[in-house]
Amino acid sequence: MKEIIINEWVGYFINKLFVFLGVFFIFFLSLVTFLGIIQNDKIQNEQKLAHEHIRAQWDGMEASNPHSAAHYGTYAFKPISVLNSIDEGISSVTGNVLRLEGHRQNDIVFSEASQSLIISKFGKLNPSLIFQFIIPLLLIFFSFNTYISERQTGRLKLMLVQGASLRKIIFSKVLSIWFIGLLLLLLTLFIQIIFNSDNINSDVIIRLSVLFLSYAFYYFILINITILLSVIFKSSTAALSLTVLTWVFWTIFFPTIMGNTTEKLSPLPTRIEFKEAMSEDRSKGIDGHNPRGERRDALEKATLERYNVDKLEDLPINFSGIVMQEDEEYGNMVWDKHFGNLYIQLEKQKNNYQLSGFINPFAALQNLSMGSAGSDMYHHLDFLNKSESYRRVFIKTLNDEYAFGGSKTGERGWKASNEFFRSVKDFNYELPTFLSFYTKYLIDIIILLFWVFFTSILVYFFTRKITV
Amino acid sequence: MIRYLNIFLFEFKHFRKSKTKVISYLVFILACAFSLFNGFELQKKHLNTIDNIQINEDESISEIITWYENGEKGPKDRSWIDVTNPYWSIRYSSTYMIKEPSKLLPLGIGQSEQYGYYQKLSIWSSPFDSDIAEEITNYERLINGNIDFSFLILFLLPLLLIILTFNINGLEKDLKFNNLISIQVGGSKKWIFYRLLFYTFLVTTTINCMIFSVAFINNVFNQELLHLILLSNLYILIFIVPFYFIIKSSDGSTSIAFKMISLWLLLCVLIPGTAHQYANFKYPVNYMTDFLDANRKETYDVFKYSKEELNTRLLEIYPNLNSTYHARDTSVNRTVVRNTMSAIVNKLNTNAIGKIEQQNNLKNNLIVSTYWYNPVSYFQNKWNAITCSDYHAYSKFRNDIQRKIDDRLELLVFECWDNKTVDLKKYNSYLKTLRQSN
Repeated sequence: MKEIIINEWVGYFINKLFVFLGVFFIFFLSLVTFLGIIQNDKIQNEQKLAHEHIRAQWDGMEASNPHSAAHYGTYAFKPISVLNSIDEGISSVTGNVLRLEGHRQNDIVFSEASQSLIISKFGKLNPSLIFQFIIPLLLIFFSFNTYISERQTGRLKLMLVQGASLRKIIFSKVLSIWFIGLLLLLLTLFIQIIFNSDNINSDVIIRLSVLFLSYAFYYFILINITILLSVIFKSSTAALSLTVLTWVFWTIFFPTIMGNTTEKLSPLPTRIEFKEAMSEDRSKGIDGHNPRGERRDALEKATLERYNVDKLEDLPINFSGIVMQEDEEYGNMVWDKHFGNLYIQLEKQKNNYQLSGFINPFAALQNLSMGSAGSDMYHHLDFLNKSESYRRVFIKTLNDEYAFGGSKTGERGWKASNEFFRSVKDFNYELPTFLSFYTKYLIDIIILLFWVFFTSILVYFFTRKITV
Repeated sequence: MIRYLNIFLFEFKHFRKSKTKVISYLVFILACAFSLFNGFELQKKHLNTIDNIQINEDESISEIITWYENGEKGPKDRSWIDVTNPYWSIRYSSTYMIKEPSKLLPLGIGQSEQYGYYQKLSIWSSPFDSDIAEEITNYERLINGNIDFSFLILFLLPLLLIILTFNINGLEKDLKFNNLISIQVGGSKKWIFYRLLFYTFLVTTTINCMIFSVAFINNVFNQELLHLILLSNLYILIFIVPFYFIIKSSDGSTSIAFKMISLWLLLCVLIPGTAHQYANFKYPVNYMTDFLDANRKETYDVFKYSKEELNTRLLEIYPNLNSTYHARDTSVNRTVVRNTMSAIVNKLNTNAIGKIEQQNNLKNNLIVSTYWYNPVSYFQNKWNAITCSDYHAYSKFRNDIQRKIDDRLELLVFECWDNKTVDLKKYNSYLKTLRQSN
């Protein structure tokens, strides 16, 4: 087997077209990866500057009423991951700026895609575009004729006479073409590690490994199928047409069809329905019979009892701050209910899309590629959840200061000092580690392994039955 | 001539007998039908939402009208509200700005999923507020695209053409009887041309029928429709012409398929992807800090202004205020200037938005400058422009929103400064300015 693989590679190096394509792809991929890293650094820097700019405004705030400061709020800027330069996933279509303020939870806005005319339907020229669209085609073109040409030239019989089994020959051919894909993958990862050395840590290494294995498995599946079709049809034209057709279905057609189908299976509310339902719950009470007035009266009574006084004016604290926080807590419950349901629907859609991997391994590859690059929906939802958690802590800190920071009920003009505002913790989003998320991608890994196993079994089976 | 007609007709027989080609063609037709169905569904969803919005707006306006009719000043549990005062009358009358979907939307949803198509306007609104965010959607579905008719035409149709045409002259070369064809037909150029013509005719007719079906259902027969038909037919030619030369000059079907797929990759994936990367490199994502500053820090600075400062700023924005009742008074009325300070904030927002739109336009100009080597993006944006679903359509919508906000604030400022009292008749005249439909 080793000899056949070496022999195949020697053959590649003699082939001028192969050498040309090899050199071209190595140069092209290196350039794209390198430029992607620079681009990523640029965006990360812009994000950092925007974040610092907003924080500086907060730190420079003069003595103010904490509740006014809650309205003033802050902004969370969605950072991009280190590996966003390999696969930007949904980064360009999601918003980037989220206003965090009192009383309301805003939508994330200002997506990159909304800031200009459309340019590319398949995204920017980054390594994932090459890995998902170009290299598979290159591998298909290398593999569709490899068995048939050996058969037509009589070399296949010669190798069989020399003692090699057909199965070994076929698997050697699969592996020798597969190594081309692996080489290009390794090159990208190498450049990524070299030019991103400051950001490399164990999580990034794990992510890169998952990314590498996902593409490696996918290429193996694709080469297996191409060679299998050429073994079955014994015609290079038929093998090529069918493989290209399969590639088109997998890469272009199924993702859109499945995307639409999953959305129909687990429909999402319209924005206006969603907002109306939330505002109704916010005003009437989460169970529909707990109006805000009653809640406020109950809170007032409980507070007076706790401090053992008869009137709000006698309280040693500022009751307005307590009311504000209670209102926030209630709003948080409403948010948890509605956004919880929305996120469940989105996760259902994602799960259904993941299951489509059983008919389209490209779906599994896409999920793993975006997931390992930290640019998929799970990572986006994580950002939104952590931003909301921060908002709650942020607003509670301000309300607590208003309630217990030294003012009394009715002192609307009371101001907290600049030192207090500077002491409020800033929002610093940390990308979750891949291992904390790995269960979400297990299905994709299983699907790719299933396809590797399934196509290998098919190749094994057909090479037993075939007559040369 | 009859000889060439025979080639044309023979190609029909060949097509009919090729299962792969017929199935591919039928799958494409089914996909087109599905995409049109999706387009109509989206259009219907938009129209239903718009209907609901209009009902809500009518209800809230009717409630205010009832207060005037019954001599009430506002909701019973909010004694401080007095709708006979222009400030409360206008502040309470939130109205919507709506972007109606184009009748051609089923033919191309373009960038419509990236933007909101309605916004509730108040005296504090701006066209970049978060309540004009796009519809709730699955972002991963968004990057894979929709089964959208324009997507099928621009990206899948060339692949269908490859499947239909890659073995023209290729099969003959594979089987080595291409010389025989040349002898029989008298040269392969016209033979290839007429065979390709058949598929061009087949595909063009199919696409035009699809477009006409939407025009018929939505009753839209206008110049835009004609442009769309011309654009789609021209797009087919963009691929058919190089395919002709590929077929003519290649050694066999494998080589033809390889070159055709490479051309598709180049035009549909690589060149747009490179242009995209370049445009983003030059104009990276805008975090809109100018707008955020105007909307937050500068707005809060305005809140801290003294009544005299507010008065001066308002007079700078609206010099004609000088002739109003309040301006003629020697003392500044704190309530009047504070009730109208949202006009100062609007001015700050407008300035910041101007900068953002300018930056976006720079990026758009760069994109447009790539069209000469990036034809697919050209066709895509032209198509979206015709179906009113491109950046410019939404930019126009934002401008319309801004104009309506400006009108609302001008009304507020002048009515408050003139110390007007609002009755039903006056309120109805306000609605003409405040509502989109008037």
